[in-house]
Amino acid sequence: MSPAVSPPDARLPHRDARRDAVVDELRRLMARVEGVPKGREGALSFGLSALDQHLPQGGLAFGTVHEISTASEADLPAAFGFLLALLARTPGSAPLLLVLASKKLARCGLPHGAGLAALGLAPSRLTLVETENAAEALWATEEAVRARAPAAVASAIGGKLDLKASQRLHYAAREAGVPLLLLRPGETESVATAATRWRIGAAPGAQDRFGLLAGWRWHANLERCRNGEPRAWMLEFDHATHRFSLAAAVADPSLARGGEAPSLRRTG
Amino acid sequence: MGERLADARARIGALQVRISDCAADADALARLARWATRYTPSVALFGEASGADGFFLDVTGAAHLLGGERELLSDLAQRLRSFGLPSCLAIAETPGTAWAVSHFARTPERIIERGAERETLSPLPVAALRLSPETALTLRRLGFKRIGDLIGKARAPFAARFEKELLIRLDRALGLAAEPLRLLAPPPAYICTRSLLEPISTEDAILTAAGRLMENLVPKLEADDTGARALRLDLYRVDGAVQRLGVRLTLPTQSPEHVTRLLRLKLERLARELEAGFGFETLSLAVTVAERIQPRQRTLATASEDAERERRFTNLLDALRQRLGAESVRHLAPVASHWPERSQASSLAPEKAMPWPDAESPRPPLLLPRPEPADVVAPIPNGPPMRLRWRGKVHTIMHAEGPERIAAEWWRSETCPPTRDYYLVENGTGHRFWLFREGIPGRGRVTPRWFVHGLFA
Repeated sequence: MSPAVSPPDARLPHRDARRDAVVDELRRLMARVEGVPKGREGALSFGLSALDQHLPQGGLAFGTVHEISTASEADLPAAFGFLLALLARTPGSAPLLLVLASKKLARCGLPHGAGLAALGLAPSRLTLVETENAAEALWATEEAVRARAPAAVASAIGGKLDLKASQRLHYAAREAGVPLLLLRPGETESVATAATRWRIGAAPGAQDRFGLLAGWRWHANLERCRNGEPRAWMLEFDHATHRFSLAAAVADPSLARGGEAPSLRRTG
Repeated sequence: MGERLADARARIGALQVRISDCAADADALARLARWATRYTPSVALFGEASGADGFFLDVTGAAHLLGGERELLSDLAQRLRSFGLPSCLAIAETPGTAWAVSHFARTPERIIERGAERETLSPLPVAALRLSPETALTLRRLGFKRIGDLIGKARAPFAARFEKELLIRLDRALGLAAEPLRLLAPPPAYICTRSLLEPISTEDAILTAAGRLMENLVPKLEADDTGARALRLDLYRVDGAVQRLGVRLTLPTQSPEHVTRLLRLKLERLARELEAGFGFETLSLAVTVAERIQPRQRTLATASEDAERERRFTNLLDALRQRLGAESVRHLAPVASHWPERSQASSLAPEKAMPWPDAESPRPPLLLPRPEPADVVAPIPNGPPMRLRWRGKVHTIMHAEGPERIAAEWWRSETCPPTRDYYLVENGTGHRFWLFREGIPGRGRVTPRWFVHGLFA
């Protein structure tokens, strides 16, 4: 865009608004070019304006693949909790489906209903599918997405996910307009077709004034975002209200910039 | 028969001796009986009293499929011959008469017409009534050699002198009393069988044939307003083996496409175990559980989108279950118990009626199937933990919440596990564990042990 020639005056905010509109329009077109089907636009919002505004579609877009991985193997429960908290935010009352195939996750235990409820996810809404190997898990995930019955599908798949497999999942999700969340325990290789990639790490929880834990905290590092920019946040999840918020200590961006991940410096 | 082995060896030098394997015989007979379900679903093995060396087929309403009773009998005899099995067959109105004719009759006539039981049985020896050897011997000694000698005699003296078995068998053979048969499997509500001209062995051919069978069943299901909840596809191999595929559904269905799809997934799963051999010559599809189906509302479009989604969801669950196994797809259901291991159960359908208890105290989303022992340092015996060593890693605990004391359910069993004190602890890097101390310090002589039971997000 050419720099403004006229001196700054009162019309500037007006022009900014026009510029925003153009950018929005471009984003919408980009999404169409990339194949998000028309009429199925929608997103799984965090209910947190800082994140939702940063993400191009106002949340995790429907009809795309979102990858959640862990900062270290010990952070797997944290990543699982993040996944469940996101699933719980799926609008409507249609069922949710969770495919479990990861041996690493199985080593951390099995889903516990009361614990799911504590993360805001009604256990009666969730269907668990346990498979023996990754091949069956891929099949089950694709089958579930293609059925267009669950409101969202999540899948904990370990092991290598080659380009062909990830493309199949991507096309299946795009056809069905269903958000597909992939939990990749301890995998360093990313899923090629993922629209967003999150790396979750545990952080010491927030304490209330009595010194009791008031909410979980996670380092949420958005490492990759199609049509958007990577960024990191310190997310907090309140047990009582089941809502995301930014941890008070690092809500200030100047503090967040000092974070450990190299991508932070890039994003500014 | 009844000779000693040594005597028999002395008489015939080249005698070969084999130890009889009764279990294998019974097994083979059961397999043969399963094969015979290709003629009729009602097949019953002979009981102990009948010699346990054959089976009954209830061919009522099934004979015409092969052109009549005579054709059925010759078809059966020919197939058994092709397996290398000599057979004695008979068809009669009552199992008793059929048994007697097949075992003792000397006439070539093997099909006994209705009402002809009396004259057929009369010339046969009393042993043809399936009596115990003692009863048969006593009767012969008293001069009752033939069944005809018993028919029409005053019953009271027989009833007084013999076990009641005698008169019951007589009545049953003559059709005066009903004889219950213990069928291999309860006859299905709906069944459709098709014999093929050429044996088939490919998956597609099997599924096409199964789809046609289901299409044949649909009008009957529709007429009764029922749908199939469980189906069984029997594949009869050329060499007499029978392969069975069972399919269970979440909701009753009448759709051949859905059934075919589920069978395809089942076949894919069983591909290793299923042996086609020289091919399958007969297929039979049975609806083993039928349930009333709610007539679908077609006029109002308002609720249809939700209903359609629900239908797709149950179809999805069915498909996943066929391929992955029924127990791989589950829902969590609450159980009214405060003991963590017992507080939830797996259910096939989503549990909506029972509410989950409101969590007053923290519960982890990931619970270990079995609590895992951990080394814990606690400065005060009944105080919170300070250091945790679990799975080879040492965690310094920065924050601990608890204890939440959970006592075992002493009313459930004699040996009651010790009371537990649960703590939610967090280490310096924000990893959160659900720990408990087993036993109360200072009470009893057991030193308290620590366990990790769950992981928090």
